[in-house]
Amino acid sequence: MTVIHQPETAEANVETMDWMAAQIKMPYTLTPGQATGIFLAELAGRRLIGSRHGDELIVPAQDFSGTTGEPATGFVEVAPVGTVQAFTTGATGTIGIILIDGSTVPFVHQLLGVEPEMLELGARVEAVWADEPTGGMLDLAGFAPLGSAATFEPKDDPADLAAAFEKVDYTMTLDYRHAYGPYYGTLFDGVKDGRRIRGVKCSACRRTLLPPRALCDICLAPTAEWVDVEAVGTVQASSVVHIEFIGQRLTPPYVYAEIVLDGTSTRLIHMVGDVDPDVAQTAAAPGARVRAVWSDRHTGSLADIDHFELLPGDET
Amino acid sequence: MSGRSKSIAIVGTGQTVHARRRTDVSQAGLAREAVVEALDDAGLTMDDIDSVIVASGPAMFGAVNQPEKWLVDALGARYKPVVRVTSGGGTGLAGALAGMNQIKGGSAKRVLVVAYDKLSEGQLQASISTLYDPFWGREFAVGIMGFSAAYWHARIKRLGHTEEAAAMVGVKNRKHALANPKAHVKKEITVEDVMASRPLCWPIKVLDVPPISDGACAVILAADEDALSITESPAWIHGMAYYCEADNAADRQMIQSEPLQIAAAKVYQDAGITNPFRQFDVAELQEPYTCFELSYYEGLGLCPEGGAAELVASGETAMGGSLPVNPSGGCMGANPIGATALIRLAEAAMQVTGKAGGHQVPGASRALVQAGGGWANLRGVAVVGSEKR
Amino acid sequence: MMNTTTRRVAVVNSAQTVLSPAWPDRQHIDLISEAVAGALKGTGLRIEDVDFVIDSGSDFLDGRSISNCGFLGAMGAHHKEESRVEEDGLWSLSYAHDKIAGGSAKVGLVIAYSKPSESDVRNFWTGLLEPFLQRPVGLDQFSAAGLYAQRYLATAGLKADDLHAVSNRAWERAVANPYVDVAEVPGDAAFWNDPVSTPLRASDLARPADGAVAVLLASADVADQVSATPVWLTGLGSAIDQHFLAAREPDALPACAAATRSALRMAGLDDVRSFDLAEVSATSTVGELMVLEALGFAEAHRGLDAYVGATTINESGGALPADVIMATGLVRLHEAASRLAGRTGYETPGATSALVHGTGGFAMQNHCVVTMEVAS
Repeated sequence: MTVIHQPETAEANVETMDWMAAQIKMPYTLTPGQATGIFLAELAGRRLIGSRHGDELIVPAQDFSGTTGEPATGFVEVAPVGTVQAFTTGATGTIGIILIDGSTVPFVHQLLGVEPEMLELGARVEAVWADEPTGGMLDLAGFAPLGSAATFEPKDDPADLAAAFEKVDYTMTLDYRHAYGPYYGTLFDGVKDGRRIRGVKCSACRRTLLPPRALCDICLAPTAEWVDVEAVGTVQASSVVHIEFIGQRLTPPYVYAEIVLDGTSTRLIHMVGDVDPDVAQTAAAPGARVRAVWSDRHTGSLADIDHFELLPGDET
Repeated sequence: MSGRSKSIAIVGTGQTVHARRRTDVSQAGLAREAVVEALDDAGLTMDDIDSVIVASGPAMFGAVNQPEKWLVDALGARYKPVVRVTSGGGTGLAGALAGMNQIKGGSAKRVLVVAYDKLSEGQLQASISTLYDPFWGREFAVGIMGFSAAYWHARIKRLGHTEEAAAMVGVKNRKHALANPKAHVKKEITVEDVMASRPLCWPIKVLDVPPISDGACAVILAADEDALSITESPAWIHGMAYYCEADNAADRQMIQSEPLQIAAAKVYQDAGITNPFRQFDVAELQEPYTCFELSYYEGLGLCPEGGAAELVASGETAMGGSLPVNPSGGCMGANPIGATALIRLAEAAMQVTGKAGGHQVPGASRALVQAGGGWANLRGVAVVGSEKR
Repeated sequence: MMNTTTRRVAVVNSAQTVLSPAWPDRQHIDLISEAVAGALKGTGLRIEDVDFVIDSGSDFLDGRSISNCGFLGAMGAHHKEESRVEEDGLWSLSYAHDKIAGGSAKVGLVIAYSKPSESDVRNFWTGLLEPFLQRPVGLDQFSAAGLYAQRYLATAGLKADDLHAVSNRAWERAVANPYVDVAEVPGDAAFWNDPVSTPLRASDLARPADGAVAVLLASADVADQVSATPVWLTGLGSAIDQHFLAAREPDALPACAAATRSALRMAGLDDVRSFDLAEVSATSTVGELMVLEALGFAEAHRGLDAYVGATTINESGGALPADVIMATGLVRLHEAASRLAGRTGYETPGATSALVHGTGGFAMQNHCVVTMEVAS
C-alpha cells in the first residue's frame, strides 16, 4: 500500500444542518508478533498452537503471559477440543469462553450450531474451520458441539511450525455525525444560503473570531456579538502542495493557505487556486491578498468556497 | 509548602533499534523491548516499579484505542497503576512529566515511562489529517505537512530561515545519526542533495522530512537517595515543563512558538539557566521537519530572533561545535513519533551520564531537551544534568 | 507511600452539564465551556489563577486525533501547562492531585467529557481490544458484560430478574437527579425483559450519555481562602488488570480491589464501610455489584447487600442511566464532593467522607479509587 489515503469527509447533512457526517477510514497492516503470528499462520493447516510460559499454557499462543509478563518459552500443539466456561447470546450470535484441553488460559470465540437454550456450562466443543482461510483469527470460524474430533495431550515442540504472519490486513472504519452546534450552525447556514461569513466578537478584547464560538480562547469571555466578515483577506502562511493523495480536491500543484480574513484575528484554512505553478512560491506567499471564489455547491461547509484567488496589488 | 520538593532523576533508559518496519514484533512487543533494556540499565525488575506511564501517538496511528490496555500484558504490569498520556509528537515528554509528578506527589517511588509508535502499520499522513477540525479545514489538510511548510514559509520571509539553512540541519543530523547504533537512517547527504530533492509541500522537500519509523523508548524515574541507590550516575532533571496554546487563539501567528518560549522561561528559571547557549553542553531537539530545529534555536534562546540560519551555518551546533544539537541524529535518524520526545530525553540523560558511546559529547554535564506536538501548539522543555540540583 | 513533604489537596468547586443521551445541538466545546465556567463560578478564582489543566477525552469518540488540541481554548488552557490523559477523568484528577501535592502548582483544573452520540459507540469499545484474537470474534461491550453476568449469577445463586433491583434503584435516583436527562424510569417491557446479551437486558447495561464535568483543585493555602468547605483528597489508588478478557477472574475485579487497597493505605483507613457516601462506576448491573464487592462494601457475590449497608451508594443514580464514558468517574467525584460540601441542591447532613470509583478500558480493565473528606 503506497498511496496515501485521505480520510473521507462526507457532504454535510444539507436538509437539516444539525449534523455533519464524517468518516475516518484507513487501511492498516498490523503485526501480531511471533507467537500469535504462528498461531494465526497455523490455522490454515487446521492446527491449534499454544505457548508455554512457566506453568501456563496459553491458547491461542501469545508472546507474553498477561498474568506474569513471562515471554513464551516454547510452542505446543493442542487438540481442537475444549470446554465452554461461559457463553452469551446477542444480536450477532453466541460467543463463549472456551478452555482448550490441556491449556490453562481460556479465550473468547464464537459458538456455532448451538441452541443457546440447550447449551450448558461445561459443554464439550470442537473447532470449526473456515472453508477458505483468509489469514486471520476467523480461519478458526469458532466452536461447535463436540462431534468426531479427538482430544489429545498437548504436544510440545510441534514439527514444521509455520512461519509467523508478519502482517494482518485491517481496515478501520469510524463513522461520525458531528453536531454543528449553535455557532458553526449559524456560520454555515449563512455560508450555504447567503454566502455570508460571520464571526463573533469577544466582549473583552473585542477581536473578531472565526470560526465563531461561545467564548474567546484567550480571554474566556463570552462572545455573542455576530459580525459579518468580507471573504477577502491576507495569507498568513502558505505552502505549495505537490504530493498527491486520495480525496484531494485540486490537482497539484496548488497552494495550502492559512488566511486571515479582513477584520478577523484567526485563521481560515483553505487553498489558493488558479496560481501559475512557476510563480506559486512567490505569488501566494505570506502577505498576499486573496478573495474567496464561491463554487456552485451549497453544502454549508468551507468547501462551498471553491478556492481563494489572488488579488492584484500590494502585499500587506 | 512544607519541606523541599524532591529531585527526580532518570536512573535507566532503553531504546529499541529503530526501523522502517518491524515485522517480528507487535506494538506491545516493541514497547516491551525498550522496557527490558531500561530495566537492565537500571538493574531493576518490574517488581521494583510502582507505576507505569505509557505514552504513544494518536490511537488512530495504530488502530488500537487506548493501546496501553493491551501493552499491560507485554509489560507484566498487571495490578499496577498504568495510565496513558498522549500529546502528539511531544507525548513522551508529557509522559515523563506525569511520571515526575507522581513521584513528587507521593503516589509512586519509581515510575516507568514507556513511549512508542509503530508507524509502519498505518497511513501516517491520513492519520495526521484527522487532527483537523472536521468543520474547519480537514478537507484541505495535507497531514501536518502543509501546515508546517506554510509557517516555515512565513519564517523564511520574516526570519531568514532559508531552505539552505534548513538543509544544513538535515545534513548535520543525518551525519550525526551515522554514529548512533539505534538510528535507522544512515546515509550522509549534502545541502545540494536536499535542495534538489523533490518538493512535497514546498518549502518542505523529501530530504527535509524524517523517516517513518517503528520504535520505542523507556525511561525509569526515581527521586533523591532512592535514585542514588539504583545508580551511581543518575541524570538529574533540573526542570521540565509542557505548555500549550489554543489552536484558534486570536492573533496566533506562529512566527515564534509562544508555548515554547513560556516553557523555556519556566524551565530555565527552575534550572538556573541564564545564558542557554553557553550553559548547555548538548541539546536534543525534536525536529519533525528540518525547519523546526531552526525555529527552536530561537525559541529556546540559543540565538537571537532571526539568528538561526547563521547559527547552523557556523557549525557550532554540529558535533565538535560549542553546543552540539542532536548528536543522536534527532528525528532524521529515526522518528517513531510517539517515542520521539522520550528518545530526546533519554539521549540527553545518556549524554550527561557519559553513556552515549560513539555519539557522546565529551564531558557533557548539562543537556537541553525540547519536544512538542499537535498543531505546533503543545511544547515541552527539559533540562537534565549530571549534578543534583 | 504518603510522603511528609507532600501538600494537602482539596476540591474547591466542581460543575457538570446535564448528562443526556444526545446533545445534538451543542458541540464538545460548548459542553466543556459550560462545565469550566461552572467550576470557576463563585470561587473568586479566575481562569488566570489556574496554573494548569489536565483533561480526559477520547480521540476515537471525538472523531479527531489529539482531540485536546482543538478544545484547549474552551478548556481555558491557553498558555498554561496542559496534559491529556486518555482515560476516565478520575485519572486526570489523580495526575492533578500529584502535581499540586508535589509542590509544582497550586491550582489545577480537571476536565472530562464525552459525546458518544456523535459516533457508533461500539467502535469505541471494540477498538480497545487487541486486533488479532479478540476483536475479530464478535466480542463487544454487551457480550463481555453477558459473559461476566452468566458466571456471576451462577455462583451467586441469582436470577437475571434479581438484577432489576439494581437498575430500578439506579434509574429512580437518576430521575431525581436534575443533571441526568431522564423524565421517568423506563416503563417498556422490552427494556426490562428482552435479552440484549444473555442473561442481560437493556436495563442491565449502561446507557451512553453526552456531557462534561470540570473539577477545580487547589493546595491547602488556596483552598482555605476560597472555599468554606474544601473537600480534601485523602487517598488515591489505581490498578489495571490484564488485557485478555477470558484470562481475567470470571466474576470478580481484583484490579479494583488492588486500587482500593492503595487508596485506603494512603488515607490511613482499613474499612470502607466507614465512608458515609460512595459513588461508583460500572458498565452493567453485574459490573456494579462486582465493583461494590471489590471495594469492600459487600462480600463476594453478595453485592446486593451493599445497598442496605451503612454507606449510601450512588445517590446520583450512578453510571447505569448516564455513562459519560471518559467522564463517568469524574462525574461521580463531582457528585460526592457536592454532597460533602453541602452545595445547594446537594445538601447531605452528616456526610463527611466519601469514596469515589472510576473505571476504564474494555470490560472494566482499569480501576481508580479516590477517597475524600470534609471537616466535620
